[in-house]
Amino acid sequence: MNLIELRGIQKYYGDYHALRGIDLDIAEGEFFSLLGPSGCGKTTLLRVVAGFEDVSSGSVMISNKDMTGVSPNKRPTNMVFQSYAIFPHLSVAQNVAFGLRKRSDLNAQARMTLVEDALDMVGLDGYGARAANALSGGQRQRVALARALVLRPKVLLLDEPLSALDKKMREQMQVELIRLQRQVGITFILVTHDQEEALVMSDRIAVMFDGEVAQIAEAEDLYRKPVSRRVAEFIGTMNFLPATVAGEKVEVAGLGHMELSDTQSMATTDGDTMAGFRPETATLLFPGQKTEGRIASGTVSEVVYYGDMTYYDVTLDGCERPVRISMRNVFGRPVLDIGAPARLAWSPGAVTLFARA
Amino acid sequence: MQQETKRGLGLIAPPFFYAVLLMAGPLLAIVVFSFWTQDYLTVDRTPTIANYVEAFGDPIYRAIMGRTLWISGLVTLITVLLAFPVAYFVSFHVDPSRKSLWLFLITIPFWTSYLLRIFLWKVILGYNGVLNSILSYINVPLEAVGNATGILWMQEGLSAPLYSASAVVLTLSHAFAPFAILPIFVALEKIDRSLLEAARDLGETAVTAFIRVTLPLAAPGIVAALLIVFIPTVGDYVTPAQVGGPGGLMIANMIQTQFLGLNNAPMGATLAVIAMLIVTVIALATVWLARRLSGVR
Repeated sequence: MNLIELRGIQKYYGDYHALRGIDLDIAEGEFFSLLGPSGCGKTTLLRVVAGFEDVSSGSVMISNKDMTGVSPNKRPTNMVFQSYAIFPHLSVAQNVAFGLRKRSDLNAQARMTLVEDALDMVGLDGYGARAANALSGGQRQRVALARALVLRPKVLLLDEPLSALDKKMREQMQVELIRLQRQVGITFILVTHDQEEALVMSDRIAVMFDGEVAQIAEAEDLYRKPVSRRVAEFIGTMNFLPATVAGEKVEVAGLGHMELSDTQSMATTDGDTMAGFRPETATLLFPGQKTEGRIASGTVSEVVYYGDMTYYDVTLDGCERPVRISMRNVFGRPVLDIGAPARLAWSPGAVTLFARA
Repeated sequence: MQQETKRGLGLIAPPFFYAVLLMAGPLLAIVVFSFWTQDYLTVDRTPTIANYVEAFGDPIYRAIMGRTLWISGLVTLITVLLAFPVAYFVSFHVDPSRKSLWLFLITIPFWTSYLLRIFLWKVILGYNGVLNSILSYINVPLEAVGNATGILWMQEGLSAPLYSASAVVLTLSHAFAPFAILPIFVALEKIDRSLLEAARDLGETAVTAFIRVTLPLAAPGIVAALLIVFIPTVGDYVTPAQVGGPGGLMIANMIQTQFLGLNNAPMGATLAVIAMLIVTVIALATVWLARRLSGVR
């Protein structure tokens, strides 16, 4: 059953068309991410769901109730703000209890128990009496989470919640958020510009560009089967090579020819298009190494060592721009000088042909 | 570090000597004077608290002190109550690029001398003034309105609001409005707007969010405004002298009378010290109360 149904959401700011007809269904208990570059409308869409932005047209349904035009305080949604929006004049416990004031069915004792449970859940047990403005960034975020979750909303909205944290803390919080979401079973909608964060955390991801949804898919499908070149470029790294389709035959610059049916193809007509493959789907061969797969040859133009990985930029014969190949350094790595000839093994199954733009 | 300290002391020295010379020195003299007494033409330098006993015992001083606090309190209340909506409007509803223009417009009254503004109020409030002319032109039954509302100058029918405590309150409230608007505006500007959205998100209406978030966070600015208006108005001397009449005289006028008119500097000094102490107590109480109320730690 769909908990949230967005239909034909349009949003104008004066002449600026921020949301251009968004249709979206989000299931109950789902961890859903809105992913896109800044200015793509993802935060606006989240604020539409929260009720902070009116829509110019379209409808917002939450648990089969029309919420279009309903003010935020009357919606079964709660939000974790990018700035966390912790009330500086209140203690941690008062912050968490802020929304419980409306719950007239609770006495002071029950309220306190709920607050303590919520703080416990986010790992801040014993912090209740502290002043909110004496907390670190990570702790503030946890307070914001507890403050929203203590109300048991149907939907928790997270607006770039991890962007203000340092890398280590961010990775730790990603895992904690997943654990928390499984524990409480509430639908989470996460807004992020970080594709890695979206891939790690979400059940499904909607990629947005220019106020439109470009693709909705599970993380693995999104990575393996991007529907457009733009999505492919935004999610991870992809090498692009010019290609020509003629009937069942495909000719890719630098790689050679292949059967159309062997590739992941979105090209519907004959003619010039773009082929793409991920850096990890091709292998750079050690000198003298044999392989069953197909081989393309070129020249090494750059080697970047990352410890666990090495990136090789290889300019394939007949191409101008290099492609990037990533290799895990399991049994050492091919030591190649810049300018040395290189051979790489690849398979047509890893090649995606994009529809012409 | 040593060098830093020296530089710091060097920088602070001129204002420090200036402050000692022109603030602490005279203040000390006033305090010392207040324990002396006037003996016709000479000052009796035997330390005594006779002046204080008289100041607290004499009903005239008590009445004037009481009226001073009443007028200042009323001015403070009116000014801050009127200033808050202005500050709120500029902070929350004016386009950010036009805010400085608005603040600039608010300070325009300062372009004219304070005395000129007092005389303007005289023109407005006088017997043949603007206000009375308008009221009589549109045939407002002054006595009836006065009886109904309890406004004294109207009850007396033929008189005017000039030369009364009301005139002092009106003139001072107008004069101090920008002083109250600015600190409240600054406090409102500092409020992170996402806090208000968070309050809405957590179930508050626009009104309850204002009460639970905006008001407590604006409290430092409101307290600053209260004190900025209250402290100088208690000691104001020009306004009551010009528009107050006998019923609008304040403690500063009495102090002036003691020093110059009655040639009783020790008594004037005593009244000045008492006024200062009362202001100090009220100011501290206000700060303490605001901290308690807004929960700032």
